[in-house]
Amino acid sequence: MREVYVAGIGITSFTRLEYPLVEIAAYPGLMALRDSGIKKIDHLYVANMGSCRINHQSGLASAVVDHMSLTPAGAETIENGPASGGSAIKQGYMAVASGLHDVVMVIGAERMREVNSLDATDFVATLTHPHAEYIYGITLPSLAGMFTRLYMEKYGVTSRHLAMVAVKNQANAMDNFYAHIQQEITIEGILDSPEALTNNPYVADPLRFFDCCPVSDGGACVILATKDVLKKLEKPMIKLSGVGQATDSHAIHERKEPTDLLAVREAARQSFEMAGIKPRDVDVAELHDAFTILEIVESEEVGFFKKGEGHIALEKGVTKIGGELPINPSGGLKARGHPVGATGVAQAHEIVLQLRGEAEKRQVKNAKIGFTCNLGGFGNNVICLTFVKEEN
Amino acid sequence: MATNVYAYKCRRCGKVHYPYRTICKKCGENDHNEFDIVPLAKKGKLITYTHLYTLPADYETKALTLGIVELEDGNRITAQLNIQEPQIGMNVVGKVDVVRQDEYTKYLGMVFEKT
Ligand SMILES: [Zn+2]
Repeated sequence: MREVYVAGIGITSFTRLEYPLVEIAAYPGLMALRDSGIKKIDHLYVANMGSCRINHQSGLASAVVDHMSLTPAGAETIENGPASGGSAIKQGYMAVASGLHDVVMVIGAERMREVNSLDATDFVATLTHPHAEYIYGITLPSLAGMFTRLYMEKYGVTSRHLAMVAVKNQANAMDNFYAHIQQEITIEGILDSPEALTNNPYVADPLRFFDCCPVSDGGACVILATKDVLKKLEKPMIKLSGVGQATDSHAIHERKEPTDLLAVREAARQSFEMAGIKPRDVDVAELHDAFTILEIVESEEVGFFKKGEGHIALEKGVTKIGGELPINPSGGLKARGHPVGATGVAQAHEIVLQLRGEAEKRQVKNAKIGFTCNLGGFGNNVICLTFVKEEN
Repeated sequence: MATNVYAYKCRRCGKVHYPYRTICKKCGENDHNEFDIVPLAKKGKLITYTHLYTLPADYETKALTLGIVELEDGNRITAQLNIQEPQIGMNVVGKVDVVRQDEYTKYLGMVFEKT
């Protein structure tokens, strides 16, 4: 297999965007073309979860490839729930590694705020098991709430730990121009003050408002290419060194240990093994914190910390920018935002910025190895990517 | 109205699945329909729960209490709870009731109460 590198990147603001989905996809694509200096691609993958249901548009990739005047390049839409972005990058990786294509554009794009929040929540809830979960009124926040309660009982995680994730990621996002949530918060304000119950109401207890990611619109892009192509571009050599993917049961109650996220464990193991590194070699990571608890649990399952000790590392400041292993310097899903199909690509975008040394105020010093974890459903389909900076 | 929620017992190895799946997770039995339909137990212990306050559009109440119950037969089920102050480990008993209703359909499922 051939080695695969990131040639260019682009991103939109993650917020409520008042322009069509096709443009939300095309704009970061245009930025990535400019960033790389590439004018022609062999293939386009567009990651998206909801265009048919939310935006009344099917065949999204065909629309985008034409909108960008990149025809006759091949184009496909990739739907894998909130892990669509990671999946599309994996497809791009396979296309370049196999020798089928030399230059592949991967875009993730979603426009969720075209519908009201009830419809957006119901759209995401269609990920749950239709007969065993959905009919009961189960949504993603309620699965996360039940999971959090078990995790607290078993491992001693408290509401204070969850709030620490929210405070950290919202602080990181203050230095990210593209982030959805631009609001600094304190533990006092969201947990201890007399107004906390109003500021930070329960959504699915023990999870509260500030434990959940916002509903966002947004798009992101990475262009993947061969080593030969990269050398001609004079861009930093950021290699996609490891790709891992694994699945788990659809209905959460069928998991032997409901507090384990085995698909995260397995996808990370594959990704690290392929890259030939150990979890603690990682300098910076973007984890899928759709709910604050998930950042803590994933930091354990991918092997950064022992099972049940993620919250202790958080407490010690290990995962802050400036700590030993910064997690979610972009603000994560929690604060950068979570336009579902775009998230996996946005994670890769942030890691490439960090490894290039272009992350400005939120730069993790001397970052050479980066890692992303992108979850579909409540952990039933997971993609983990490892990126390594090589000297030019 | 139905009085049971059903599970699927593999005819080869006896493993009970809920919800339905086409291939036995334990022994790999894959002859079509080689499952016996068996009612799930009604009694069990609550293993986790949540009060959900942002409800799907089909509900008119202010909150919904949801949980996962480990049943006496060893299976687990995700369901609604009609319990004021749920506690992990408490004994519960279920009955079949309407758990969701839209314009066209009433969906039936298990609702648990304190024993
Ligand atoms: Zn069997």
